[in-house]
Order: sequence, then structure tokens, then C-alpha cells
Amino acid sequence: MIKRLILVASTLSLGACASHTNINIDELADARAAIAASKAAGAERCAPKLQAKAVSLLYWAAHEYTETGYHPEENTELAERAIAKANEAKAASSKNCAPPPKPKPKPAAVEIIKLSGINFPHDSAALTPASIAILDQAVDTLNRRARISVEVAAHTDSSGKDSYNLSLSDRRAASVMNYLASHGISADRLSSKGYGETQPVASNTSAEGRAENRRVELRVMN
Amino acid sequence: MKISLLLFSLLAFALPANAGITTSIEERAAKVEADTEGNNSYHAHLARMFASIAEEEKAQHDLGPAKEFMKMAEEHAAQAGGEK
Repeated sequence: MIKRLILVASTLSLGACASHTNINIDELADARAAIAASKAAGAERCAPKLQAKAVSLLYWAAHEYTETGYHPEENTELAERAIAKANEAKAASSKNCAPPPKPKPKPAAVEIIKLSGINFPHDSAALTPASIAILDQAVDTLNRRARISVEVAAHTDSSGKDSYNLSLSDRRAASVMNYLASHGISADRLSSKGYGETQPVASNTSAEGRAENRRVELRVMN
Repeated sequence: MKISLLLFSLLAFALPANAGITTSIEERAAKVEADTEGNNSYHAHLARMFASIAEEEKAQHDLGPAKEFMKMAEEHAAQAGGEK
């Protein structure tokens, strides 16, 4: 009884470890080569079903070759089918298969110098005294960082027409740029652009959000 | 005493290695099929084909190979990342 138990346990142990799918046997050299060639031709991506069929046949043939009860004709047939499928996959890959799309390069992050607190009267690009105090600080910053060029970017909230907001933000950006240029910042280092309501940073459904969206900032361009 | 220890050791190794024995090959094949449904990637195709071979081996009463092909099917199904 004990001997039988040992036999059962041993069989379970060894049975779980035994492999039936060793493809590295001489009889499958041609099939392995054909599959390697189709894989190199891009078949996994361009002809996935054919390539998978070829690979599954290779493993099936490997199992049949190592199985007790040798059936040479069946085994050869499986290996030949694997080669045929691999050749089909390779041929299909050479037709109508575009190279994989290249990942889009990430746009470089732009440093933004926020000019918090710059406000304009309604429908105007005139600078208020409070805004001028903030712009004087911006002049100091640009003098300290003499190598950078900046774009003055102005934004509005979504109230009003798109075209009106774009035009208003253009005028406000130009107004700020002119102030900076008139206070010693070289015009070569400055440009201006109005973005209208296209780049909100908060929801336009609340007064607080709209106030956040009405803003001017300096974008470091180099 | 020695024999008991030997038996215990063999069973301790044998049972985890045969885990999944209670789930049938057909059930596992159906799960692979469901997990990769609509997925036309190489790994999904390979998973379905290995599962199919596993069922065929099982039908021929070759349980060892059936389980091994099913394990390969499940590994490729996992690599395929499920339904697409």
C-alpha cells in the first residue's frame, strides 16, 4: 500500500514537471528557421493570425515528436504545415504592412512666468496702476534673466464672441509688451500674442473661474 | 517514520504543481476564448490556438500535454491584454 502511495505521489510530482513542448529538436530545424524568418519580417504585427498558427503548429509538432507512440508521418505533416504557415505569414508581411507608427515627440515644456494680478478695465487694453506695479517686477525679472526671450501671452474668459476675445487679448498682450519694451527690455527679446478664450485654466461657469482665465503670462521661448 | 516523511514531502510538492486540476480544460479554454474575444493581436491568436490544441489533446486523453498547452494559452492570453 505504501509503495503504491509513493508511486502515485512520484508520478504526480514528475508529471507536473515534465515538458511536452521542446521545440529545439533537429527534426524541427526548418520550421524554426521559417518562423524566425517570418517573425523578422514583422509577421507578429502584420500577419498575426498566420504567424500564431505557424508557432502553434511548431509546438504541437514538438509535442508529437516527443510523445511515446511515434507517428512519423503525422509529425512531419505538422512540421510542414508550420513551415507553410510561416512562409504565408512572411509573404503577407511584405505586402500592405506599414511600419509601426513612430511615437510623437513630446513638445518641450514651456516655462511660464505668471503675472498674477494684472487686470484691465472692461473692454480695454489700458494698464491699471496695480498692473503697472506687477509689470515693474516683471521688468526686474527680465533684467536678471538677460538671456531669455519671452512671448507675452494674454488670455480672456469665454464671455463674448470668440473673435472679439481674440482681438482684445491681442491688444492686451501688445500693451504689456510695449510697457516692458519702454522700460528697458530689448524688443528683440519680446513678442506678443493673444490667445482669446482658447486656453482656459479654470471653468468659465463661475465668476472665480472666469477671473482665473483672464490672465497675462510670459512664456519663455528659449 | 522515514516513509511518512517521504510521502508528505512528495505530496507537498505534487499538489501545488498540479494546482488547477479541479478546473477542466474545457472551462479554461472557454475562459481564454472569452478573455481574448475580439482581440486580433498575435498573442491573442496564439492563446486561442494553444487552447484549441489543449482541448484536442484532452480529447485524446493526453492530460499532461493538454494542461501544458492550456498553461501556454493562458500565458499568451495574459500577454494579449484581454479583449480589444
